[in-house]
Amino acid sequence: MEFSKAVRKDILAVIALVLAMAAIPFAIGFERYYLLILSTATVFAIYVVAWNIIGGYAGQLDLAAFVYSSLGGIVAARLMVYYGITPWIGMFAGAGVAAALAAIIGYPTFRFGIKEVWYALLTASLVVIVREIMHMPEFLGSLDYRLPWKYMGWYWLRFPTYEQLYWVLVAVLGATMLINVWISNSKIGYYLKAIREDELAAEALGVDVRKYKLIALVTYAAILGFAGYLHISLNGVYTYKNFDSAQSIAVAIMGIIGGLGSIAGAFTSAITLKIVGEYLRSSFGAVIPGLHLLIYGILLIVVGIFKPEGLASVIEWFKKKVGWGGEG
Amino acid sequence: MAEPILKVRDVVKRFGGIVAVNKVSFDVNEGEILGLIGPNGAGKTTLFNCITGVYRPEEGHIYFMGEEITGLPPHKIAAKGIARTWQKTRPFQKMKVVEAVMVGALLRTNDVTEARKRAEEALALVGFPREKFYVRGSEITLLEHKMVDLARAIATRPKLLLLDEVAAGLRPGEMDQLASILKRVNRETGITMIVVEHVMRFVMGLSQRMLVMHEGRLIAEGTPEEVANNPKVIEAYLGTKPE
Amino acid sequence: MIDPALITNNLIDGVLMGLLYSLVALGLSLVFGLMDIINFAHGDFVMIAAYTTWVIAMMLYVDPSVTAIITVPLFFVIGLAIYKIIIEPILGAEPLIQIAVTVGLGYVLQNLALAYFRAGPRSFPAPWFNYSIQIGPIGIAVSKLIAAAVSLASLFIINYMLVNTKFGLAVRATSANREVAPLMGINVRKVFAITFGLGIALTALGAALYMMWGQTNPYLGQSFSLLSWVIVAMGGLGGVMGVLYSGLIVGVLEALGSTFVSPSARLAVVYLAFFFILWFRPRGLFGRR
Repeated sequence: MEFSKAVRKDILAVIALVLAMAAIPFAIGFERYYLLILSTATVFAIYVVAWNIIGGYAGQLDLAAFVYSSLGGIVAARLMVYYGITPWIGMFAGAGVAAALAAIIGYPTFRFGIKEVWYALLTASLVVIVREIMHMPEFLGSLDYRLPWKYMGWYWLRFPTYEQLYWVLVAVLGATMLINVWISNSKIGYYLKAIREDELAAEALGVDVRKYKLIALVTYAAILGFAGYLHISLNGVYTYKNFDSAQSIAVAIMGIIGGLGSIAGAFTSAITLKIVGEYLRSSFGAVIPGLHLLIYGILLIVVGIFKPEGLASVIEWFKKKVGWGGEG
Repeated sequence: MAEPILKVRDVVKRFGGIVAVNKVSFDVNEGEILGLIGPNGAGKTTLFNCITGVYRPEEGHIYFMGEEITGLPPHKIAAKGIARTWQKTRPFQKMKVVEAVMVGALLRTNDVTEARKRAEEALALVGFPREKFYVRGSEITLLEHKMVDLARAIATRPKLLLLDEVAAGLRPGEMDQLASILKRVNRETGITMIVVEHVMRFVMGLSQRMLVMHEGRLIAEGTPEEVANNPKVIEAYLGTKPE
Repeated sequence: MIDPALITNNLIDGVLMGLLYSLVALGLSLVFGLMDIINFAHGDFVMIAAYTTWVIAMMLYVDPSVTAIITVPLFFVIGLAIYKIIIEPILGAEPLIQIAVTVGLGYVLQNLALAYFRAGPRSFPAPWFNYSIQIGPIGIAVSKLIAAAVSLASLFIINYMLVNTKFGLAVRATSANREVAPLMGINVRKVFAITFGLGIALTALGAALYMMWGQTNPYLGQSFSLLSWVIVAMGGLGGVMGVLYSGLIVGVLEALGSTFVSPSARLAVVYLAFFFILWFRPRGLFGRR
């Protein structure tokens, strides 16, 4: 495969970023607490960069991130605990199940032309529906499921310390970013961006709008379904509450603040908001609970009203300032 | 005479109680520029929307190169070789000009580099200024928007191009410029065109043959001179804006 | 076999709640129909109003329903202010941006409430109408009956207002054609502001009624937001009657879900119905447009 110069630059930037992130544990002396925060932020960065495909490129405000990630994660966890199947396989199964659900939901949704506010509402409802189905005794019920301690090591992707899992997360993040780079510079990416701007105009140019929206949704769901197990492995526990509305909305919020269609923006926004959020929660949580969410809210309003291009425009400006290219 | 490239037969489109297009039939010959005129609300745009699959007509048939295309979705009709522009331009504001045109080019190739090359060719063909190839859609003039719309459609390599009121909103000088661009495109690529217009002057100089629509029906057909002197046409335009 | 008395009780409850939902959703429907503003924070105003009602009720030690006299005008003014600061700048913005901004507004409201009142639920300890009418095995809560009656009356008043007053005419004219309305001497921005204020005032009325028996917490608004949108989706646009019928359907669906599936799954049943309505009746059950 032949890459253009811009794509090669993007790929190099992703590789540089992955290497830099992989080195962070050494810089912070493998401090457990920091590694946990960093890992959680990386999980969200994966989700938000994946969300960029459906939300940023295709312009569909999907609010169901945790349906796909939790479903995929729980599939992999169950395969491990009940059938002794390694998550190296289970994660692909999880991705498959999440992608299948996305296809089942997405096909009629796009077929019937549901978009904008109705798509957002539909996906917000989906989270509640799936959570309540999982809440039924036939599925997860009200129990907490802890991953047993006997499953440890690289074979099970579970570790007594955080750095190994963090490295795996960084690798998955890098792969997710490369998928974004590839989409952005391929026919699919151009078609999705055209759909986001004007569906009818795109369709008149031969773009099969339904098909490409479905491709975007299924790709996004598959990535989340794949990464879901890593999130569960990080927390060590899963329940029906993993199908979480607020967290799903948070993914979309980070994507919007980052700037729709910007890989660098999605990454920066997820990492910064998650780390700053965690800092605020641990420092002021007792005095002002929800301070970090309050700040997300204010940021969203400000970005929406004054800078709809999001953080990406700031990054763009910065790149011009220092004369540095890179992914974008 | 060769088989017409487009055959429209008894097409009817209703909205509620209003019959927007009423039993319209006509042929389009390969290579020609056909003018379709009529006062505002005559049903021209609705007819376009039926041909391009935006609307599904209630009755009638549309054949393109001998094949029935009635009721196909817009993207399939585009793939068969019918492209269009819009009365009110529908730009991809946040994409660069070349990228917007690439969306059209990608219909016939999966290779992005090749699509970029074809997009640049299409832009050059319509005379879009080269120094603005890489600015965003939000930063160009109305005439340039019309050029991009046109280039985007041409980039899909159509056999038939439907132009919906391309001259709307342009100054007289710009209209002449656009008319000569369309003639050049028709001459150099052989693309058949249907030009919808309610500004008569623009189409008169452009097309060899004209159709006139009024209140959903075709009321006249002929050369620009014949049409301009047809009493029915004059009557249809009386009381509306004759321009 | 489920006890028929229980089903009846739940269905009555569903109808009464449905009327309250209609009242809350009406403001959202008016705003969306009139100015194409997508407000995801609508329910959060119910939540903030519920806290305001609670504070006033505790201060004066009167039933929460009485506080509506204060909160409804207060929230009308708050609505005007929110319109000016947040809604007007995003008029005509693309849907995704509108959703983002109003989701942000919802976050702000929720977390202000959380910061000030903390997460624990608040309710009025000495409600006046804390009894029910018993007809054999069937009991009807008087507080909910009052809430439903007031909601129904308000819906009819607003409907009357839309049909018969000059303001109503302005609203309908602006809904129908925003470009032409100013030519008829209608101050579109003013109509927008008043309608938005009215919508928020209605959430305050809904909250005062709800607090007669209910309790509030910072996340109360989320379900009200979604339910209101479901009602708007079912009802199509514009019509008060569409909102009324849809609210009743939502209330009854909730009751059925609560009875036949599980109380915690009642919202899921409503949302599932919402899915199928969106798929198969994208213009709503009673919709125009």
